[in-house]
Amino acid sequence: MIKVGIPRSLLYYSYFPLWRAFFTEMGAEVVVSPETNKAILDAGLRSALDETCLPVKLFFGHVLALTGSVDYLLVPRLISVEPKAYICPKFMGLPDMLRARIPNLPPLIDVAVDFSRGTGNWENVLSSMGRLLAGDRRLIRQACRSAQAAQSLFQEQLEKGWLLPEALNGAAGERGTERPAPPSPGSGRLNIALLGHDYNIYDEYISMNLIKRLRSMGARVATADLVSQAVIDEQAGTLPKKLFWTLGKKMIGAAFAFCDSGQFDGIIYVSSFGCGPESLVGELLARWVKRRRGIPFMLLTIDEHSGAAGLVTRLEAFTDMLLRREKG
Amino acid sequence: MKITYPHMGNLYIAIRALLLKLGLDPVLPPPTSRKTALLGVRHAPEFACFPLKLNLGNFLEAREMGADTVLMGGGIGPCRFGYYAEVQREILADLGVSMEMVVLEPPSGDWVTFKTRTRSLVGDCSWWQVLKAIRFAWYKARAVDALESKLLYLRPRLCEPLQLEAIYREALRRVDMAENRRGLDLAVSDFLKDTRGLPGKSGDLLRVGLVGEIFTVLDPYANYDIERHLGLLGVEVTRSIFLSEWINEHLFGGLFHVGGLDHLKEAASPYLNAFVGGHGRETVGATVHFARQGYDGVVQVAPFTCMPEIVAHSVLPAVTRDHGIPTLSFYLDEQSGVAGIVTRLEAFVDLLEARRKKRLKEGV
Amino acid sequence: MELYLGIDIGSVSTNLVMLDPLGEPYLAPLYLRTQGQPIAALQRGLAIIRDQLGKGDLVCGVGTTGSARQLAGVLVGADVVKNEISAHAVAALRILPEARTVIEIGGQDSKIIILRDGIVVDFAMNTVCAAGTGSFLDQQAFRLNIPIDEFGALAGQACTPVRIAGRCTVFAESDMVHKQQMGHTLPDIVAGLCEAMVRNYLNNVGKSKDVAPPIVFQGGVAANQGMRAAFEKALQAEVVVPRYYNVMGAYGAALLARDQTQRRAGTGFRGWQVSTMPFQQRSFECKACPNACEVIEIKQEREVLARWGDRCGRWGVTGAEADQAVQQH
Repeated sequence: MIKVGIPRSLLYYSYFPLWRAFFTEMGAEVVVSPETNKAILDAGLRSALDETCLPVKLFFGHVLALTGSVDYLLVPRLISVEPKAYICPKFMGLPDMLRARIPNLPPLIDVAVDFSRGTGNWENVLSSMGRLLAGDRRLIRQACRSAQAAQSLFQEQLEKGWLLPEALNGAAGERGTERPAPPSPGSGRLNIALLGHDYNIYDEYISMNLIKRLRSMGARVATADLVSQAVIDEQAGTLPKKLFWTLGKKMIGAAFAFCDSGQFDGIIYVSSFGCGPESLVGELLARWVKRRRGIPFMLLTIDEHSGAAGLVTRLEAFTDMLLRREKG
Repeated sequence: MKITYPHMGNLYIAIRALLLKLGLDPVLPPPTSRKTALLGVRHAPEFACFPLKLNLGNFLEAREMGADTVLMGGGIGPCRFGYYAEVQREILADLGVSMEMVVLEPPSGDWVTFKTRTRSLVGDCSWWQVLKAIRFAWYKARAVDALESKLLYLRPRLCEPLQLEAIYREALRRVDMAENRRGLDLAVSDFLKDTRGLPGKSGDLLRVGLVGEIFTVLDPYANYDIERHLGLLGVEVTRSIFLSEWINEHLFGGLFHVGGLDHLKEAASPYLNAFVGGHGRETVGATVHFARQGYDGVVQVAPFTCMPEIVAHSVLPAVTRDHGIPTLSFYLDEQSGVAGIVTRLEAFVDLLEARRKKRLKEGV
Repeated sequence: MELYLGIDIGSVSTNLVMLDPLGEPYLAPLYLRTQGQPIAALQRGLAIIRDQLGKGDLVCGVGTTGSARQLAGVLVGADVVKNEISAHAVAALRILPEARTVIEIGGQDSKIIILRDGIVVDFAMNTVCAAGTGSFLDQQAFRLNIPIDEFGALAGQACTPVRIAGRCTVFAESDMVHKQQMGHTLPDIVAGLCEAMVRNYLNNVGKSKDVAPPIVFQGGVAANQGMRAAFEKALQAEVVVPRYYNVMGAYGAALLARDQTQRRAGTGFRGWQVSTMPFQQRSFECKACPNACEVIEIKQEREVLARWGDRCGRWGVTGAEADQAVQQH
């Protein structure tokens, strides 16, 4: 059986159900790299360019964890997943950076994902991937349908309030079956909106268990995945100039929606060291949130050297402040 | 309306010509200096790119001179440059500085928006006048390019490079002042004439290509005078991109059909076969191109955290492996130290010299 | 005897090496603290050397290197003014002609130099900050109350070196304090610090460099056994520390001066009186144009020896001209 490796990193968190269903249906075995650990991070730090951002370094680490044990590596060239917006330049150059820096890579499935001009869709992308694996046309069509079904179930679950890792597991399990009601998002007194790219906030190692820590401090945690694409588009549409980064748009759209809902006590924004778009989006968001609602806002920048002690101190100080505000 | 705009090397000459021909009242900020950088750094986000910070410093200094409007370039991503103006506008607003931002976006198919936006800037000018102004600014940019490339060529070849630089500055001033094409042509031809008689040095020169992000390539303040340091070390520097090419691409929407950068994309394709924003792909292509032309080395410059150039830098080891061309990359911001840059440049030149000697010996 | 003097003035130390015509050290190399006063340190060093020379000894060539190479070059009348990367490479090759990697960690910076067949093919200098340099190690030894000379031996006693995180001194220090509070032993902490420094060095300066043995480790930090052991552990190769590891820059500059003057007879050396001459150094902001360059001026009594720092050359003696003047002397 052909083994297709998927690095547990970057857009894995957004598209794993789609990819997993597709390749499984194609008759391949999907191998995902282990959850981030010290060895994976260290391997990434050694092989990626020092100037690059933490998430890309980590991606290198996950790729290295799969090299040697798979026949193909799924590294789509992620240019754009919606019209007139991009992910970021480094996502666009991922296959090239890997090839230049990692010897003995397995063949990459590096089909370009570019919906920026309003043309192109996942079906075409998946079909190209399927042809790389030399699948016949009927099989590919069938696999595409399963993949899209899995992905839409995943989206639905997110909007119903499942946290992303829970939904990822759900969609990865028995497809199509109804799940029991989503677990409660925490039962504390504080409502905290946690913003940040999926690959940062849901990677427990990199985020140092941020979500669990917040819940254990008595906070109810909501993330941008709760907000539907339509609301994000609408909210982000109020900007003087359209934001051309998909992930930044999601953060801003969700933050505005959270502000407008009036239900949140504070916003925590997680950003990774060296992220280009975040350097501007985080800044703008801090200014806009302050001007719009005056909801307390905290920016947490994480890097490979962050210690959990520093994180806990900051979280405690922030939640203490919110509780005092509530009383006052 | 007193309108200002950011510095980027000698860009000010072309833009001033454009605005004057449109009947506007331009306010040129003082040359970018340490004070400019400090102002920009104080108010800009910490990890924003260096050009954004320097631009912001320029605006604040121009404000002190009475400017009330800012002319900025725009873009449609994914490079951060396309969103500079938005961030700068918010920062200025929070500072209580009331300056209008006029952003020249590349048309990208939406000619109606482009036209209304441009119309708000040019007021009563006829489209014919606008076109004439653009064409004149273009000629100025070409004249600047002619002077700069000659300067790069001559600096390592002359016994008295400082004398050459003085003549160059005078020629640049004349290009800036010129009111018509005749004046421009004269300034350039006089420069060529004046530099012809200068005593030269003999000997084989090292040749280095300068590639990277356009602002840091073109702006001597941002790149800590890298071209000059190399020139004074006796190295001929060739840029991968010149001012006029950038203006044509970014401000005039490719109005002028000049030799594009397609050959660079082609050269980059074995290493980076996709657009990655900014000039990342061109950086890789130009490195290959310089290697094919027999250049001794390539220097890459980029703002600290620049995304497209980080992608390009990541694949450069593969280019070096295949083509044997040494490269040296600099990420620049307000914290770069000139001493460290010069030490690296000197060591790089020593390395290139040793390589060349070794090759000659092996060739014999 | 015909002698060749090499001078390396860095931000932390000022080193002088005197070589005989065969390129061997003629006097014991000098290692002095710069203490923020490069001119005074240089003069002190020259005086010490002068007092050790015999009647027939003659300086036939002088080379300078280090961050104050230009200043030193003007003051002494150097025949060669060379950047410290090239100078270090020359010295390492003298000690070990087949060397393929040079690790150099000094007071405030660190470098890696990759050599193949006796020439430099690649190099890098630290880009971010002083983490992983001698000053940081000194500071931590002081904080842990260990004499820096015993630091290396202590690291050798470690059983399980602790993991210390930190891109920069501030983070590393706070993480170390944390580890101390958790009750780790001193040797484990010291060894952990060495390993963290080596890891940072290899991930930053040594990133993507083709590090191959033979490896030479030089610079002040090379004295530290713990660092040497940490490098050997990380690189899985023997690491050679040369005898004159802490003055290799000056050594290289002296070798370069020897080669230069043997090719082109005559030295520009201004004589031993340099050690007692009054020099003044000042800097000022040029007001001639809005560039506001910071100009540095070196004067010997009333006479201006050199000025540099201006971008337009208005102040006459610029870096390049000073270099030329030095060579024509």
